[in-house]
Amino acid sequence: MNAVSRFWIAAAAAAALSPLTAQAEEVRLTYLTHWAPDTVALLEEAANAYTADHPDVSISVRAVPFGDLLTTIRSGGSDGPTIASIYDLWLPALAKDGLVAPAPEPVAEEVTSEWPAGIAAAASVNGQVYGIPNEINVYALNYNKRLFEEAGIAEPPRTWQELEDAAAKLTDEASGRQGFGMINSWAAGVDHPFASLLVSNGGQLIADGKPQIDSEAALETFKLYQTMVEKGYSVPAMGTSDANTTGPFLDNFVSGKTGMIIMANWWESALKGGMGADFGNVGTAPIPVGPSGETARSISYSWLTVVNAGGGAAQQEAAWDFLAWLNGPESGENGASAMAGILQSMGILPSRSSDVEAYADALGRPFLEGYVSTLANAQGFPIVLGGQEFSEALQQVIEQLQYGQITAEEAQANAQADAASILERASR
Amino acid sequence: MLTPAVSVIAVFIFVPMALTIWLSFHEWSTQTGFGAARYVGLRNYEDLFGPISVGRDFQRAFLNTANYTALSVLIILPLSVLFGLMVHQRRVAGGHVLRAILFSTYMVPMIAVALVWSKLYSPTEGPINQVLSWIGIGPQPWLSSPDTALFSIVILNVWQQIGYFTVLVIAGLTQISPSLYEAARIDGANRIQEFFGVTLPLLRRTLLFSAVIAVINAVQVFEPVALITQGGPANATNVLTFHIRRVGIERAQGGLGSAMAVMLMLSLIVIIALLFATARQKEER
Repeated sequence: MNAVSRFWIAAAAAAALSPLTAQAEEVRLTYLTHWAPDTVALLEEAANAYTADHPDVSISVRAVPFGDLLTTIRSGGSDGPTIASIYDLWLPALAKDGLVAPAPEPVAEEVTSEWPAGIAAAASVNGQVYGIPNEINVYALNYNKRLFEEAGIAEPPRTWQELEDAAAKLTDEASGRQGFGMINSWAAGVDHPFASLLVSNGGQLIADGKPQIDSEAALETFKLYQTMVEKGYSVPAMGTSDANTTGPFLDNFVSGKTGMIIMANWWESALKGGMGADFGNVGTAPIPVGPSGETARSISYSWLTVVNAGGGAAQQEAAWDFLAWLNGPESGENGASAMAGILQSMGILPSRSSDVEAYADALGRPFLEGYVSTLANAQGFPIVLGGQEFSEALQQVIEQLQYGQITAEEAQANAQADAASILERASR
Repeated sequence: MLTPAVSVIAVFIFVPMALTIWLSFHEWSTQTGFGAARYVGLRNYEDLFGPISVGRDFQRAFLNTANYTALSVLIILPLSVLFGLMVHQRRVAGGHVLRAILFSTYMVPMIAVALVWSKLYSPTEGPINQVLSWIGIGPQPWLSSPDTALFSIVILNVWQQIGYFTVLVIAGLTQISPSLYEAARIDGANRIQEFFGVTLPLLRRTLLFSAVIAVINAVQVFEPVALITQGGPANATNVLTFHIRRVGIERAQGGLGSAMAVMLMLSLIVIIALLFATARQKEER
């Protein structure tokens, strides 16, 4: 056989085998998240369990700080990660820009039937489901029981007046302790506690797509912040956050330099890590009710996983299949999803109804119990086009108020004007 | 023969610049093609100078960048001359070691610098505050206060860049002929007169180059803000590059981001032109 013959035989064999080669070609999925290394390891473990049964699929997990998550998704565009974990506030803009793929019919049906209506709605835009919800977070008042006892405070505050009184008793300038902690340098950390106090005072940020920050309830909330700072009960410099949403605000609560703070349930793992045995000192209570409010309310928000619309058909199909498995009742223990197990490792509440049922006992532990009881009266942080810009603009106004650069009245006027302008521009 | 070079310059420099200027007059999402851009005239520029958050944030970022640049240059240039003179003294034992140490800070990646300095500045456990407490100075807020956060970032920048500018000054000093100093000494000049009469005038070109590079570096500051402060607290460290990234990429407002980039570019051109004009005026005198 001469060289030419050998070439033709090899070419014919390659042509004959090429369909088989294509069939066996690996589908590569990338999963972008902002989770910490320990949690990423759990996600990788779940991905390995999936790929063991699906050898034609490989999944690599990539983590970036929360502050870089949206930028990474946007700058990657259609060539970015196949799967991304996103904050529900970002969904309308990502869907409008065609970056996220609509969920296939079976996935959409499962989301609609297996998740509470409000959470399924947060994963949808104009009735179209774009992702599978996973975590839900809600805000509550965390307080240091030991400091409360030392200050002679019997119960966590139920009203704003009690909040102010407790903050006064807890504040000790000499030892560098603030009564009530406020967060800065991180939009959600600034806005969500403020919005929780606002809804507990009978107000709202946005209703029917229109800003409602010009209400009396909102002014009272801005004034509460001003009072807390002016009287020295809150020290803004103690509330700084870094790009990983940790930093001095966390350190000060962990070390007993902050008596009370409004935070979401997800920081349970951070508190446990920082406080060790002293974690038992952390109490959870509903958001105190303001003078114009009637009942304790709070703010909630959810996260979901979406699939890149720029991915190939095989990638998208594999991505949805993996996500449906990861968030389905077959992947975890005792009828729970693998995702719920990962979330519980961080103290985060799962949102799928069957997961909540499967983890009923765990959700009843002292720290989370206060959050779970708050969930019934929680309102979702407004999800609108321009939501991220609105959130960052509100953050700046609140931080200016915290640092005494503007008054409560100026903060209210600026926040309302900003919101009106941002929502109008986003709707064009 | 110039055609290939001109083509390369056009493709890599003028086309992106022209595109940025063109986009600044449009409303455009960075996630869509240029064809989707909608002409809005001067509206993006009006927004930048308006009273709403878009304008307030831009104006603050512009001011922060200007302050950061001015402070950085004003500290780096004299300090680099001082260090350059110290290291250039041949009588100083181990001068070359000192030179290497000074330059080493410039080689440390910014991610490492940011991590270390964010810990150094820690209000409660930070070594800087601990050292200050030994001499009776109370804890400083550093990155946690709008009054000190930007200056804290400037210090970090100076620490990292000073070695590079010192090396530039040393290179300038080696160009000055020792005979000029001998002549000055024969004329009865003391060390201070030597510095102002010989060293400084002959270092002018080096210092002009240093100033231009320092301005460009400072205007482009991004990493320490992105890695440590995220523009906070209360927008105190929100600089233009970080803000443009937030607007143009995170919010996908490409038109608005382009208008900000054009303003940054124009400011840089004006500053550099002023620096050269001032230097030329002095040379003519």
